[in-house]
Amino acid sequence: MTGTNPLLDEAELRQMTTEQAMIAGAEADGVHVVHRRDQFPVPGSRAEKRAERAVASLFVLSALAGVAFIVVFVAVPYSYKTPGHSQNFRFYTPLLGILMGLMLTLLGIGAILWAKSLMTEEELVQDRHDVPEDGPEQVMTGATLVSGVYDTGLPRRSLIVRSLGLAGGAVATVPLVILVGGLLKKPGKTLDHTLFAPNPDFPGGIPIVYSDGRRVSPNDLQPGGIATVFPGVRGGVHGPRSASSPTLLIRLRPGQGKLVKARKGQADWNWQDFVAFSKICTHAGCPASLYESQTTRLLCPCHQSQFEVLEDAKPVFGPATRSLPKLKLDVEVVDGAQYFVAPQDYQEPIGPGFWERS
Amino acid sequence: MNEPSEHGPRKDVMDEDVDALGFDPAVSATGADVESLAEPKPRPRKKRPAWRRRLSGALVLMVALGGVGGAYTLFATSSGANDTTTSQADIDAGRQLFNTACITCHGANLQGVHDRGPALIGVGSASVYFQVSTGRMPAAGQAAVEPRKEPKFTEQQIDQLGAYVESIGGGPALPQGSLKVDDKELAEGGELFRLNCAACHGSTGKGAPLSAGKSAPSLRDATDKQILAAMLSGPENMPAFSDNQLTPQQKKAILNYVQKLEASKDPGGNGLDRIGPVSEGLVIWILGIGAMMVVILWIGAKT
Amino acid sequence: MTTTQTPTRRSGKPRTIAGKSGVWIEERFRIAKPTRGLLNKVFPDHWSFMMGEIALYSFIVLLLTGTYLSFFFDASMGDVVYNGSYVPLRGVEMSRAYASTLHISFDVRGGLIIRQIHHWAALLFVAAMLIHMLRIFFTGAFRKPREVNWLIGLTLLVLGVVEGFAGYSLPDDLLSGTGLRIADAIILSIPLVGTWTSFLVFGGEFPGTEIVGRLYIVHVLLIPAILAALIGLHLAIMIRQKHTDFPGPGKTESTVTGIRFYPTFSAKATGFFFIVFGLLAALGGLAQINPIWLFGPYNPAQVSSGSQPDWYMAMLDGSTRLFPSWETRLWGHTVPALFWPTVVLPGVLIGLAAAYPFLEAKLTRDRARHNLLQRPRDVPVRTSLGAMALTFCFVLFVSGGNDLIAKAFDISLNAMTWGGRIATLVLPPLAYVVTYRICLGLQRHDREVLEHGVETGIIKRLPTGEFIEVHQPLGPVDEHGHGVLPYAGSAVPKRMNKLGTGQLTHVRGFFYPVKEKPEIAEKLAALEERERAESERHAELTD
Repeated sequence: MTGTNPLLDEAELRQMTTEQAMIAGAEADGVHVVHRRDQFPVPGSRAEKRAERAVASLFVLSALAGVAFIVVFVAVPYSYKTPGHSQNFRFYTPLLGILMGLMLTLLGIGAILWAKSLMTEEELVQDRHDVPEDGPEQVMTGATLVSGVYDTGLPRRSLIVRSLGLAGGAVATVPLVILVGGLLKKPGKTLDHTLFAPNPDFPGGIPIVYSDGRRVSPNDLQPGGIATVFPGVRGGVHGPRSASSPTLLIRLRPGQGKLVKARKGQADWNWQDFVAFSKICTHAGCPASLYESQTTRLLCPCHQSQFEVLEDAKPVFGPATRSLPKLKLDVEVVDGAQYFVAPQDYQEPIGPGFWERS
Repeated sequence: MNEPSEHGPRKDVMDEDVDALGFDPAVSATGADVESLAEPKPRPRKKRPAWRRRLSGALVLMVALGGVGGAYTLFATSSGANDTTTSQADIDAGRQLFNTACITCHGANLQGVHDRGPALIGVGSASVYFQVSTGRMPAAGQAAVEPRKEPKFTEQQIDQLGAYVESIGGGPALPQGSLKVDDKELAEGGELFRLNCAACHGSTGKGAPLSAGKSAPSLRDATDKQILAAMLSGPENMPAFSDNQLTPQQKKAILNYVQKLEASKDPGGNGLDRIGPVSEGLVIWILGIGAMMVVILWIGAKT
Repeated sequence: MTTTQTPTRRSGKPRTIAGKSGVWIEERFRIAKPTRGLLNKVFPDHWSFMMGEIALYSFIVLLLTGTYLSFFFDASMGDVVYNGSYVPLRGVEMSRAYASTLHISFDVRGGLIIRQIHHWAALLFVAAMLIHMLRIFFTGAFRKPREVNWLIGLTLLVLGVVEGFAGYSLPDDLLSGTGLRIADAIILSIPLVGTWTSFLVFGGEFPGTEIVGRLYIVHVLLIPAILAALIGLHLAIMIRQKHTDFPGPGKTESTVTGIRFYPTFSAKATGFFFIVFGLLAALGGLAQINPIWLFGPYNPAQVSSGSQPDWYMAMLDGSTRLFPSWETRLWGHTVPALFWPTVVLPGVLIGLAAAYPFLEAKLTRDRARHNLLQRPRDVPVRTSLGAMALTFCFVLFVSGGNDLIAKAFDISLNAMTWGGRIATLVLPPLAYVVTYRICLGLQRHDREVLEHGVETGIIKRLPTGEFIEVHQPLGPVDEHGHGVLPYAGSAVPKRMNKLGTGQLTHVRGFFYPVKEKPEIAEKLAALEERERAESERHAELTD
């Protein structure tokens, strides 16, 4: 405090009214009361009573809303029922919301109204004292800091400085090593393979199945039909590694099959008019599965990348840069019925790009 | 898990027949490129002599009846249809309707008209039901996507139209019997819906835009039969889902899920059109921040 | 001057219990003086100073509701078959995280409303921080000495977004799972360390079995603790440095004008807290948010069209949608297109925001301390830069929902994407130019009023037959009848019923005309006089 208002002694203060002492305190804090007025100088006036009643009734209403909240909370049914049964559960949460909202909002409005209409009106000016004018303080504190450094002898003892730096570095690094070391997992070639990778249990190729485990037969799909299929191995449909395997099997409409412009070396990866692509978008990994069976475009719903299926799912619009990886299809015959198998894994990493990917 | 498909082989045979004839049995009702198959060298805007038109029409009719229709009426059950009691009277009535409402764009013998409408041979009565009962057909003109409208025909008339179209080209038909299933399969229906349908129609059935102006419609107003017809026939750009891929029971479970989804009330207050974070964001900025601004203006105001 | 009803009792020895407790505390901790300093802290009560409070109160609501939710939520990705009361998912295999969120929503009495309040509060928290930040920016409140608090505020905003995303991802539903999948793709896109970082974060290949548990501890402990500490620091610095104030008559760089913390401001602030909480409670009950039961449990093979993140991430979603397919291949390595709009762009934007106070000070060579704010119109370059940045972000924000707009208004999706790409390039410069013109126009209008006075609406016919409108000068006029008041960057009254606002500090009217209070003018004049004397004395000392 800069002492613009020299502190009065205790005896003087005790002689003051509460208000005077308060103002004295404010002055001591650099806060100057420029205006202070009771909003209702005449006590018990009609206007004052009206203002008081307004605040009080808000508080009472708030309390009533609280009581109603408790009643609703306890008494109203809230259990979900399917359509066809009573849908009354739908009133539970809204009722709670209205009542809780009323309880809190009315209390809040009451408090503000109280402050605005009943509390003593004030206008104060506070000195900031934020210009660093304490030159001596700065000098003394600075000297203390610098002399401390000299007391330790650090400027002269470079050996200690350096060795301490080493120790500090070690102490700072070890927790980091513990944290990262514990969390780190080697990616290796994980991202390059899916569960369609060759598996000794299935010498004829990985069976291709639906989400319910049924095997996929060429007869299943109508022309223009699609199916989300999975590798028929353990954990292929559900499992920690199944995120990379979802595959979109497409049966082109007749006539479309001839138009396929396959990428180099992938021309025979179709099976008749069936093609299969990874469902995982090469942009950000969403399942790109909005297939337009007439225009043969495949759209990803997350960022609107569009792939042309007839050109081996080449990206034709949007932010995706790479074609959807294609899965080679083959058919094996079991008990006279034909079923799809994947004779080999995807030949490139599925999903979004990453640094190690060429 | 290995469910032998009894209809599959027969369908294959049928497909080969059709291919040999240069026809495509399961092309959707608006597949534009199919038309060129029915009419290898279309001459746009040039009026052909009536006799030639009639002749080519008759030719197409003959081929269709002899090759495709025959095969289809025998084997159409592969799409879940069963022997319905379509009488010749229905077919005749359907032809009448067709000749007044559809012939301009789809041709006298369903072979399609270049630049107007695709061939309807082989689309099946399911497709007719979907297109006509949702009011998409008869269409006013060509658009990227036909919007849903008030249907122009009664249920009976639509059946008659379907019977007529099916009598010529065959194709997937709607099954008879109840589509209702137990709520026990609600969860399975939900899983299948999310796997097969939600990508386009959204997990709350709101629909979504597709590429370049096309879109997948909202399922709000769709009836069980319409959704089933769409699944079977794959209208416009929608993929078709055969009964071998999604069994009739699974399809019914999906229908049940969709209808229950639409009918169920939101437990958490107004559903904000079930759009998700976008409508929530609008609410917090307009209602939330808006209300807050009013409040702080009031608190800051001097009286 | 003081005409209040405060009891005129002497300030004798305390006799009440409260008074005696006060003495008891003072005898032990000696905090009378600092406590009084705090109680007497003066808060300017301009409405725009309350935006930060909205964020603060939302944060408190988040802590309260979040603690409640943690009693029921099970942050585990272990499989469980759902058997609760939401029939459409009964029998479905899902993670415990998803199942327990369903449990909160359907089987805990009142659980759903708390969950929804929590989510709405999160949306409001970030929105309030943003508008608070905009207010600080456009009024120049970030200038010396408040640069550090600007940086802390920016950190709070970024942390708030991260915290929100972590919370949004916890229920492990199809929507948030899709979001996490994209987050993984973003991490993967970072050159050199992306793959390793992704495996580090997810404990292996996406999605693994760890991420929900890890996000949970980040969401309930790590970030909230940092947020709470930074909010405390933010407020402490604000109290230490005192509030900024709008310029106006009687306002000086070395004073702050307003009401004291105790009792009026604290009453208003408490009331405001309850209103914020009440609004969130009403929203939580009346507007359904994040209905995860409609989305289903996360399954990497499934997706829903119209998958969007919460609004504060929509901008990144938009930038990702608009960014062209530019992939860089370097020496057998890949820098995916995703890297630029999701890592580089936010990095640049945050970096620019952080550097702005220092850049502006450097470019304008302004090293002075500033406690008085600037009206946006008086700093057209800054205001226009802000408008430009806002427009850029807004285009990206809208593009984050471009599929829904395309669907709702029947516009081609591809056209929306191209429209967004063009708009990000064209609209921001346009916004700069337009804002600049508007600022100058507003300034000019102020100057006109200062020179000619306020339009009274009274039309007078001169003896020559000429009609003129009578103008009421704001102050003294020179021999030409022009006002002599200088342009001072403070609000100028434009209507007759606002007259008076240009003269006295405390008489402001928001909705109503103001009253004359001459005694205040005297007091202020005395203060100013003393101020001047002091600064002269100070100048003498430093010379």
